[in-house]
Amino acid sequence: MNFRIKLTLGVVFASCGALVAQDSKPAATPLDPAALKKAALGIDQHIASFYRNRKLPVPGVTDDATFLRRAFLVAVGRIPTAEESLAFLEIEDKAKREDLVTYLLNSPGYSSHMTNWAFDLLRITDGRVGSAGNNEPYRNWVRTAMEDNMPWNEFSNRLLSSSGDGWDPETAAVGYYTRDRGMPLDNLSNTMRVFLGARMECAQCHDDPFGTTERHDFYELAAFTHGQGTVKQNLMTPIWHQYQGDQKNYPEEYRLAQVLWDRVYDMSLAGNGAGQINLPSDYQYRDASPGTLVGARTPFGRTVRMSDKRAEGDGRKQLAEWMIQKTNNQFATIIANRMWKRVMGKGIYDPVDIFVPTEKTHHPALVEYLTDLMVELNYDLRLFQNVLLMTRTFQFGTNPKPSTVEAGDDFHGRKIERLASEQIWDSLITLAAGDPDKQPRRTLDDRIYMGGSPVLVGKKTMSQLSKEVLAIESEKELRVYFDKLLDEVQGGSGNAAAGDSMMMGATVRSYNKDAKVRASELPSPAPRDHFLYLFGSSDREVVDASSREPNVGQVLSLMNGFVQRELVNKPDAHLYQTLKGASSDKEKIRRLYIAILTRPPTDEEMAWMLDEVKNQGDEGYRNIVSALVMSSEFLFLQ
Amino acid sequence: MSSFLKADELTRRQFVSNAARAYLGVHLFPMLGGTLASAAPADVAKGSKAKHVIYLFMSGGMSHIDTFDPKPKKKDVMGKTEAISTNVDGLMLGHYLKNTAGVMDKLCVINSMNSTQGAHEQGAYVMHTSYDMRGTIKHPSLGSWIVRLGGRIHPELPGFVAVNSSPDHTGGGFFGAKYAAAPIGSPDDGLLDSRRSSSVSAEDFERRLTLADKLNRQFHGRFPNADVQAYEELYREAITLMNSEDLKAFDLREEPAATRELYGSGRFAQGCLLARRLVEHDVRFVEVQLGGWDTHYDNFTGVAGRCLEFDKAYAALITDLEKCGKLQDTLVVVATEFGRTPEIKTEHEDGRDHHPGAFSCVLAGGGVKGGLSYGTTDASGNKIKDDMVTVQDFNATIAHALGLPHDLVLMSPTKRPFKIADKGTPITKIFS
Repeated sequence: MNFRIKLTLGVVFASCGALVAQDSKPAATPLDPAALKKAALGIDQHIASFYRNRKLPVPGVTDDATFLRRAFLVAVGRIPTAEESLAFLEIEDKAKREDLVTYLLNSPGYSSHMTNWAFDLLRITDGRVGSAGNNEPYRNWVRTAMEDNMPWNEFSNRLLSSSGDGWDPETAAVGYYTRDRGMPLDNLSNTMRVFLGARMECAQCHDDPFGTTERHDFYELAAFTHGQGTVKQNLMTPIWHQYQGDQKNYPEEYRLAQVLWDRVYDMSLAGNGAGQINLPSDYQYRDASPGTLVGARTPFGRTVRMSDKRAEGDGRKQLAEWMIQKTNNQFATIIANRMWKRVMGKGIYDPVDIFVPTEKTHHPALVEYLTDLMVELNYDLRLFQNVLLMTRTFQFGTNPKPSTVEAGDDFHGRKIERLASEQIWDSLITLAAGDPDKQPRRTLDDRIYMGGSPVLVGKKTMSQLSKEVLAIESEKELRVYFDKLLDEVQGGSGNAAAGDSMMMGATVRSYNKDAKVRASELPSPAPRDHFLYLFGSSDREVVDASSREPNVGQVLSLMNGFVQRELVNKPDAHLYQTLKGASSDKEKIRRLYIAILTRPPTDEEMAWMLDEVKNQGDEGYRNIVSALVMSSEFLFLQ
Repeated sequence: MSSFLKADELTRRQFVSNAARAYLGVHLFPMLGGTLASAAPADVAKGSKAKHVIYLFMSGGMSHIDTFDPKPKKKDVMGKTEAISTNVDGLMLGHYLKNTAGVMDKLCVINSMNSTQGAHEQGAYVMHTSYDMRGTIKHPSLGSWIVRLGGRIHPELPGFVAVNSSPDHTGGGFFGAKYAAAPIGSPDDGLLDSRRSSSVSAEDFERRLTLADKLNRQFHGRFPNADVQAYEELYREAITLMNSEDLKAFDLREEPAATRELYGSGRFAQGCLLARRLVEHDVRFVEVQLGGWDTHYDNFTGVAGRCLEFDKAYAALITDLEKCGKLQDTLVVVATEFGRTPEIKTEHEDGRDHHPGAFSCVLAGGGVKGGLSYGTTDASGNKIKDDMVTVQDFNATIAHALGLPHDLVLMSPTKRPFKIADKGTPITKIFS
């Protein structure tokens, strides 16, 4: 089936010579297009019955141009290039909307866009405050999982139950815990919120006065993940204390010790979850005294318990299993609703991280259907989105009114919504520099940094170093290893050249904040003076903290800032290349419209723009570009 | 020649009204300036002295015991922190605050803060809005409330500016985008992109706006939507700002090197200096954030690091404001979402966890008595002993300092009643 679609797309897109269908890894669950279509129809039938019951007219389907822009922004997070737009708009083919969806979901843009979502959800930052350790291998693990379309249940399970080496690609998911080193209870609250939509932050400190969760329950849950240590870090304590206390006399030794202490040991995770925990010293209720040892117990669903008598030591695994399999589908329904929001714009219930029991939602049959679909598709998020994108519901016309359902989707046409910061950025760089998905993605920088500069390049990577160090079993052995490593570093031969890096067969590719690449490949979080931050990208300290709030700085930036410098006033911007070979002013204006707004101008607009060019000549084109990018139509999804 | 180019010749009101009508299709909207203050009560509470607020937010949860509420007799609670004396007899601070100790006579430390929210997001949200987070409504932040209730002072500069802050805590909520903070990422760069690029002529710039306005009117006509409208209003705001002669308020390069050094380096430190410049230029509310206080792990190194920047900048700000005569009408607030536990977690390299039950905030200037501490915690800084101040009381006190009605009810677009400090009542005792 992939072949058929690729072939069709090949025909569609080869017509302008701009595109080649991307190679895609096989989907985790092969499903023929007919089955996907049938699943999509099932959703539409539920929506139709919703309309019938309420005696409402069913919204019409939107035009090709709006569909094209919407599908691109939703599936791959950017506007189409002019070439992509023309290829789609100029072809008459009944199946072209479906083919477009398949094309998008198999392009690298899909995983880039998913990565932003995952980074916001999991609060992925590159660095760690107050530590030389970082989250690079964890970031790379999540990025790769999105690229490989790892099923959501497996993804969640690996995040929750991995342990070991933070640099080993097999276990780098330990970053999920080591990112929050020292704050395991906050980490657990977030786990419950992210994967189950259960809000337990209150119960960390006191019984929830409005809910059913007691502080005791929270600690019983915390017992599953308790005891998040490091792998054999104690072996290094003597070396660390020696050099940390005498940094002045041993600067090199200290810096190397820091690499081992912060970037090897501290990024590793030992302990698989004790299954028992002591109540805190300020425990305030009568049912137990502070400090009491309690065994693990889950707060709802099919109860899982662990003993308070002995540490069984596989608590995290048990917790993950419970979450995924024993919570009456709460795990599946939460991710299904998150994906619905992602594709349709609004959750069936919103906020999507406060679980609503299916029977209490305003469309239980649909929620049930989607939950079952998620399970049937084996948590393949790409296929699930594929089904949603193929529905008629996704193609409904634009509705500027807010939802009539207080906290959720009224299924009443596409709501107008400002684009996410990453969508605006990714669209602007598409205009400035052409299809950003042709740029290779950032790779893991696993060089060994001492201070700010890499050492032993071509000789040893962080992954190798980490593996070797974590295998060491005694203080004495570690001391010998450390001295030898220091020798190698000081030997000087280490700091070198491209040749070495070639020898290793791996090129490190990273992008600084000024690079015009996808937001997913830029430093995380975006610096506070970056375009992305200005438009509301998350600082990735709390779950899903991105914002679409407007402010005056954004408007100034559109008028005078990044857009002017990198797009409007830059003669070699990709956008202007689309004008080459255009024979008339009319044709040029048409092409600018297609490139920026994904549609041809109306007659009225054409008259305005022709007038502009007549009056101002070449400058007129820059004025047109500027106005189109400043327009609300550019900033808002329809 | 258009009215935009002739702006200088017109009065502000005419300019705004003409520019808006001509370029932005905003004849739909009420004009700014006067109407921004329309909710302001005619008579301001008697005796209030503050006109401006500088709100310094310590994000992550500042440890009260290590800073403003030390417990010198309890070594187990203090850990590596020592208490030092200040220029006010009987008042002590953590030893990281040596400069602050020298301006203690200007400060009113509130040691009996109490919050019901123990997670960052919720804690920071309630501090900024007086309300708990809800999935269904966005509450306006404190700066937005104060501009809404008190009006802006300078007609062209934003009423509310936020330096290095999270947009989620400095938004206009249901008041809308015009009450959201103008964001500053880096104080050194000031308000980015506030001048027309030199490569664009005034005429072309204006033509762009005219075209954009035509397109926007068309779009808005097809899709009448509040969020879309918010952006259109912002263009008007932005143009007024670009035309202001007082844009230099945002330019730190106008400060002598000696003054810049006085505050120290870093975004927070230079942000404090920028805040002083902005209140001098009649900006109503400036928020500056200092992050990194979430010291679960290795608390003492963390606190020392944060205080390094905070202490120098804060003391410099107080001193500098005093010197230029602005301390009397500027309320300087130090706030945070919660404190940290007296208990020290040795398994987390001597970390401290969240502690909303008792923590410290500080007020200075704007008619607040100095050299004072209000409210007390128990011997170990665990629970409040006297004079509990809720988050809402604290925000009511800020409103009171400005003479704004803390109990005035404004309706949200969904027709629900809200107040700047919810059910809080101001602590009037601390005012001179």
